[in-house]
Amino acid sequence: MSEIAIVSASITDWTDAGVAIPSPLDKLASVAIEALRKAKIRPRDLDAIITNTTALPFDAPSYITISAQHFAHRLAEKIGSHGVRCMNVCAACASGAIAFATADAMIKSGLVKTVLVGGVDNSPRGFYYQGPSFLDPDLAVSYPHKVVGITNPSYWAMWARRRAYEMGKPVEDIKELMALVKEIQSAYGALNPHARYKKLFTAKEVLASPVVCDPLHLYMISAVSSGAGAAVIMDIEKARKITDKPVKIAASTVGSTVYGEPSPRLVYFATAGGKNAKQPFIEWRKPIEAAYRQAGVTADDIDILEAHDTSCFHTINWIDQVKGWEREETDKLIRNKQIRHDGEFPVNLSGGTASFGEAVMCQALVMIHELVLQLREEAGERQAKKKLKMGMCTAYGAYGSYGVIILEKGW
Amino acid sequence: MNGERDQLPVVGGLFTWPSDEPKLIGSRCPICGSVQFPRSNVCNNPDCDHSKGTEEILLSTEGTLYSYTIHAYDLRTPFDYHKAPYAIGAVELPEGIIVVGRLTTTDAKKLRIGMKVKFKVDKLYTDGEKTYLTYFFEPVDDEK
Repeated sequence: MSEIAIVSASITDWTDAGVAIPSPLDKLASVAIEALRKAKIRPRDLDAIITNTTALPFDAPSYITISAQHFAHRLAEKIGSHGVRCMNVCAACASGAIAFATADAMIKSGLVKTVLVGGVDNSPRGFYYQGPSFLDPDLAVSYPHKVVGITNPSYWAMWARRRAYEMGKPVEDIKELMALVKEIQSAYGALNPHARYKKLFTAKEVLASPVVCDPLHLYMISAVSSGAGAAVIMDIEKARKITDKPVKIAASTVGSTVYGEPSPRLVYFATAGGKNAKQPFIEWRKPIEAAYRQAGVTADDIDILEAHDTSCFHTINWIDQVKGWEREETDKLIRNKQIRHDGEFPVNLSGGTASFGEAVMCQALVMIHELVLQLREEAGERQAKKKLKMGMCTAYGAYGSYGVIILEKGW
Repeated sequence: MNGERDQLPVVGGLFTWPSDEPKLIGSRCPICGSVQFPRSNVCNNPDCDHSKGTEEILLSTEGTLYSYTIHAYDLRTPFDYHKAPYAIGAVELPEGIIVVGRLTTTDAKKLRIGMKVKFKVDKLYTDGEKTYLTYFFEPVDDEK
């Protein structure tokens, strides 16, 4: 199988959500052109364009949202195309990662050689609600808000409380840990020109912010943002002719729901077949293990992590799952601040979604962009101190959508 | 409360109503036994041969609290009848699935993971003409 590499990656500044100017397509087009220019290729050199779809405008009827489900086609038309393969990927918060994995798989299959992966979102504000379409009144996922009043942070809060319980600790313990994660990551947001939030938070301030759903406080939960990103990927031999720092895609995997997962999954009323389940978050762990197999590596080979953190609990849980070790070890790593740029396992040196807010459907482009910078040693003040060879990014989304990518120095 | 004409489930099909002893409506696969909530027309077990459709069953009314949270923000329209604070729990039923639902109390002192809870149907909100019902799990005081 041929080896694939990222030649270029670009993101826009992440900005306030819910503002329509500049238009999402304009944003996507400008960042796509930037990535193409960095890769020294033209739209005619592309064999495929893969983008995310988007929830935008989310609460509107489908005759309004349908254009937002076809960004790939609209982007192709806008930047100048020649009949490239266009695909629009929808997988909630994991859409960007899965668009990327799809592009990787297409090149590996030999069908295409050069792909632009792009993403844009202008996310709706506030709690996300699923509503039933009159043509799709699915009892399992369309009504939990209406019947229970459950929101995405309610699920995360229940996971966090359960983790503390299973570790035999009071819930205050995980609360403090989440606040510390926010404190650490805000320092990198402050250093990242693309991040929306530059404010430095102390754990104390985080704990003093209003409770949203106990144990989650407001500043432990990601805001929603607007942003766009793009990456150009191709066969590594071809990439080497363009750049002396091609970033090899060592693995890209896609995960989904697992029968027997005991943790309540967004946005469902109930778990499926949990009777025999012991260990929670098996469906988070599965695509990570698949990525290790694909790359022929173990957790010990991953030098740096960008973890999709729609709440500070996610960062903690991703470290649990990526490392596959006792949860106490994760707590120790965070409390000893070893997830900082000068630590033994840097996590979210981009500042994370904690500092960007989430442009929901394309957030993975932030993580991919950061790993490219870090591996190329171009991250400036955010640059990891340790020698980096390999980095991982992990994405989580509602409905049971997951994407994991391992990137490696290709030079 | 049992089925006065002005009382109705906020969403139909989730629990039996009207009923003196309402229960959650689920489904069970006659081949492999996999239980689902809400009910589904097909089995969800990836190892099942799916040779028969599922059967409707009524779920147990007692379970164990798996985790919980207390929601401190009101929801916005059209769900603004969910007024904070309100409590949400994930409840493990003897059938082996975990179901999310409202809890009857927001008093954190009365809630702990692992405690027994009991299913009940009660008022969610009233719009002046009708009372809309949902299901709740109520802590069972088993430590007397």
